[in-house]
Amino acid sequence: MKVAYWPGCVSRGFTPELHGSVAKVAPMLDIELEELDRANCCGAGVIAEHSQELADTLNARTFALAQDVDGAAGMMNICSTCQGAQSECQERLDADTDYRSHVNGHLKPEGLSYEKAGDWWNKNFLWLLVEEIGLDAVRERVVRPLEGLRVAPFYGCYIVRPTKRLGFDEHPDRDTYIEQLLAALGATPVDYAGKHKCCGFPVITMAKHTSLRQAGSQIADALDADADCMVTPCPLCHLNLDLQQPDAAKYVERDLGMPVLHLPQLVGLALGLEPKELGMNKHVIGTKDVQRKIAELAAA
Amino acid sequence: MPEHDVLVIGAGLAGQRAALAAAEEGASVGIISKVHPVRSHSNAAQGGINAALNPEDSWESHAFDTVKGSDYLGDQDAIEIMCREAPDELLHLEHIGVTFHRNEEGKMGTRAFGGASAARTYYVADITGQAILHVLYEQLMKHDEVHRYEEWFTTSLVQDDKGNVAGAITRNIRDGSMELFRAKAVILASGGNGQVYNPTTNALICTGDGIAMAYRLGAPLMDMEMVQYHPTTLQGNGLLITEGARGEGAHLYNANGERFMEKYAPNKMELASRDVVSRAEQTEINEGRGFPDGTVALDITVVPRKRIHEALREIVNVGRDFAGVDITTEPIHIKPGNHYVMGGVKTDTEGKTHIPGLYAAGEVACVSVHGGNRLGANSLLDTLIFGRRAGQDAAKRAHSIAQPAASETQLADEQAMIEGIIRRDKESGRRVSEVKAELGKIMDEHVAVFRDEAGLRVALEVVKELKEHAKNVYVDDKGTVFNQDVLGAIELQFMLENAEAIVISALERKESRGAQFRTDFPERNDEEWLKHITVATGGGGPELDYSEVTLTQWEPEERTY
Amino acid sequence: MADYTLKLRRFDPESGKAAYWEDFGVDLPPERSVLDGILQARSRDDGSIAIRCSCQAAICGSCAVRINGKTALACNTKLGEAQDMARSRRGREEITVEPMGNFPVLKDLVVDMDAVHWKKVQRVVPWLLPEGDPPEREYIVPAEAMIDITQSMACIQCGACVGACLSLEADPEFIGPAALAKAYRFIGDPRDGQHEERLKDLAEDPHGLYDCTHCFACVEVCPKDVAPMNQIMRLRRMATSDYEIKDKNSGYGHEKAFVNLIEKYGTLHESQLLPRSYGQGSLIRSQVDPSSLKQLTASLPTVIGGLKSGKVSPVKALIHHKLPDQKQIRRIFHEIESEDERLELNLYIVGEEATEEEGAMAEGKGSET
Repeated sequence: MKVAYWPGCVSRGFTPELHGSVAKVAPMLDIELEELDRANCCGAGVIAEHSQELADTLNARTFALAQDVDGAAGMMNICSTCQGAQSECQERLDADTDYRSHVNGHLKPEGLSYEKAGDWWNKNFLWLLVEEIGLDAVRERVVRPLEGLRVAPFYGCYIVRPTKRLGFDEHPDRDTYIEQLLAALGATPVDYAGKHKCCGFPVITMAKHTSLRQAGSQIADALDADADCMVTPCPLCHLNLDLQQPDAAKYVERDLGMPVLHLPQLVGLALGLEPKELGMNKHVIGTKDVQRKIAELAAA
Repeated sequence: MPEHDVLVIGAGLAGQRAALAAAEEGASVGIISKVHPVRSHSNAAQGGINAALNPEDSWESHAFDTVKGSDYLGDQDAIEIMCREAPDELLHLEHIGVTFHRNEEGKMGTRAFGGASAARTYYVADITGQAILHVLYEQLMKHDEVHRYEEWFTTSLVQDDKGNVAGAITRNIRDGSMELFRAKAVILASGGNGQVYNPTTNALICTGDGIAMAYRLGAPLMDMEMVQYHPTTLQGNGLLITEGARGEGAHLYNANGERFMEKYAPNKMELASRDVVSRAEQTEINEGRGFPDGTVALDITVVPRKRIHEALREIVNVGRDFAGVDITTEPIHIKPGNHYVMGGVKTDTEGKTHIPGLYAAGEVACVSVHGGNRLGANSLLDTLIFGRRAGQDAAKRAHSIAQPAASETQLADEQAMIEGIIRRDKESGRRVSEVKAELGKIMDEHVAVFRDEAGLRVALEVVKELKEHAKNVYVDDKGTVFNQDVLGAIELQFMLENAEAIVISALERKESRGAQFRTDFPERNDEEWLKHITVATGGGGPELDYSEVTLTQWEPEERTY
Repeated sequence: MADYTLKLRRFDPESGKAAYWEDFGVDLPPERSVLDGILQARSRDDGSIAIRCSCQAAICGSCAVRINGKTALACNTKLGEAQDMARSRRGREEITVEPMGNFPVLKDLVVDMDAVHWKKVQRVVPWLLPEGDPPEREYIVPAEAMIDITQSMACIQCGACVGACLSLEADPEFIGPAALAKAYRFIGDPRDGQHEERLKDLAEDPHGLYDCTHCFACVEVCPKDVAPMNQIMRLRRMATSDYEIKDKNSGYGHEKAFVNLIEKYGTLHESQLLPRSYGQGSLIRSQVDPSSLKQLTASLPTVIGGLKSGKVSPVKALIHHKLPDQKQIRRIFHEIESEDERLELNLYIVGEEATEEEGAMAEGKGSET
């Protein structure tokens, strides 16, 4: 399946291991990526906060670029925040013809136009795996079942709320996809209070106390539920959960030390890729324990 | 022991308006409500509020519509006051922040409503009551000189030995403690009694507490037989579909697809007064032209979608959430359902009852501006105009008298009464909910749109029997914190006082007028019955009496729409 | 066998015992509400079950609780749907009902609204403060302005958003979604004369405008589509763009920095975002202004951690690639930022376009122009 691929900003900046992992994992699942290298930032909600029209126009531009990719089934993103911010813009663009043509007017000089079409989609890697590739197809390709690995899913707000905008009417269990995927990979999903909660990243510069208390509490909950690691489809969540974790520990006044994996890394492990190929040595919180478990699996 | 000049019981629109008015006159005010003020049932008034504010309109026209709507039972002096003062009251609300709908010039815009000869209903989408209630509460939060007692349940009123009202006995729901509140004037603003019926559009809190407490003190109740059935309520749960829907152009159809209002009100059609429309619907249903579930259809799809979105949003939600119907694409089944009591504690135009120092305003009161039938969008107006007037007059009284003496024995009595209920065990009697369900059913069966002597007699017998049962109901909750169970037992007794007054008044009025249609006396009879019926407790029980209808400039004439 | 089982969270403060779960069988059709179920249990089995309720029509705002973990009004949650949710979400038959989060519990399902919700509402000065004396007639204001604030006026103060708010869970001092939506009701009201002061107050409060983490929990649970978070975002937009309030929480700086970076590079340049945010959008200012410097230094260990782990490349930290056609992004910025009026599409107000046929027709029209 060929998709127009929007990797987002963070996967090419602060979390390059995510970008690299997707590049390795996608072909193994017969996903052909055509990267949208001219596309712009989704705005992460911040541009919409500044100017809704600007955010909608920038994302209409990305959608238009994606719609121009020959033979693509749709557009794929690898970031919960991109998914949420783009879905929000798409909802408005699709709702009102006049508004859409006004926004498209800004794209005209580039010869671009976003067309509303019922069957065109923009899906996160997670949604794509479950809904387009299919968990059976994933399961078939697993060469290293992650048996015994206890994984705490962390979705990221933007991919689970608001359900009405995010297609839950049609796909009511999108907030259990990680667990379903984990089962397909052979891992054990860990249930804990924080899985649909907020990592706190959006306010890290404005309300550090709130931000890191959130990150710290969710990690602590996962820890208390005996998780070996957390996994997230959102690189922004990853920043707060991994990069900021040492700081977050202070806000919840306890030791944490919880490895946090990007979703494609975990898929890659099950498909047989080595931790290093997936950039797992580039995390702030070491992933050695997870790696050791994986190595034991390979040995067994 | 809390002490105020003016004590307001109930914090819906009438109560909050009264409290603010009294405070503005310099009185120290306490406002008590058994629920948080913004939970009050004024919330449910969807459609709007009437006022002849437009220069082309006139208060006389508004007043005449109201008189005609009342089937000439409304007191015309009171109606004149209400309609004359409406424009200023509306502007006051606008100035303190109510977000009234604007027209293209940025002025307040109107919608059409039933029984009105001009479009004079001002509105906030279809949440008018909620918007006004919340804005008044904003003002209460601003005026911290008004003491709020939220979630306090009043069990009885207190008099001094000269018969002046001296306060009230109240239970703090949060901890079960009880207090005697002293006051120089008490304003009842505790709302209607729709819970006497089942189904009803009324909230669970509408149990006629104030009506019953005033009645027990000897204050006469008036027009109690006049119980409004709203033409558009959902079958089963009784939820309200605003008259605004018809104001915006929606049509009524029977099961044969006929727009039946042509037969009953060829000029005003769906916008005839509520009693007329409800009777028309019930006739269609009774004569077999309704749907099998005992309903007719309201078709809102004729209203443009954008307009529905902007002006009838709440109804879209109600249809979707409570009937599973998308009103923008399909008709919704409705029927007449209990909605409002025109009657209540008899007051003059300052809100004064027959008990010195006791005032009443809003649905608990009967001034009487609604007579036999209230026009849509006149109820909010009634609460605000007479709430304010009662507040002002009560403050005046408070300035002129000393704090009356209130003995604490009644506090002890009430405490003992509640303890007594709590101590009863299962063997002592029935459950509150059982008795209440039986009451609601019998009232809806026999004291509804069409009535006759035989049915009313049956209802009266049952009500009397249930009054006995209510004395021995038992409750499960033996605690003090949020003991809603024991409050339910007290409310049940209040409701039964209301029910009895309704039924005996309905039996007494041997004619058909407004909301009272007697199949055994199908005509209006001005010669004998152009008068109010009052009920007051005498030595041995309820005693009936009459009171003149005040006519000023409108002689009764035949009523057609 | 009852039609449904309600698993209620019970708490009696007078018993001295901790909260516990209790099951009640309920016999009602699936379209009846969870509240109907609770009231049936109360009237049939145990009259001591405490829950606030009144209108049963999602208007009075009394009955917000958590159903299967999700905050909602008990009166407009259908039993059938609640059970489907319990099955699919939690793999069990019973519908759990418990008091809202973020509130102290008084008894069973009754929480202390005053201690949290109303205290916060009072905090935003919740009454109209017009400039000068009122006009003789009504204030003349645009129709759209009144419709616009109708969204926040639609709030029934049920507290569902407060109970679900994830920022509030981490920071109990957060003013919270309901109170901030209430604030918008005044700041969006052209009759109010204190817009700037109100915005300043909320922007400067460390638990105010910029303490919302944008998690959509309030949007998700609001039974009246008030979308409190959207109102908060509009308040931010007004604070930064209309009044240029340079708050000490770096809300202004963060937005300016982010927007400027996208304008300049097209994609996000994270290593500049932090210093620029603290410097009110400016990279230079962040290095000369003592307060920004302090904030920046505080965040240094994190950045160093990133460098050490190898995830943040020192080269990347200095150089950021511009998009190949970055001039198009700048043109779009310029076009939109130089428009006289800010264009906002609020779907609450305008709704979505009608039927598919109409949509298709409109689509045709749109592409012709």
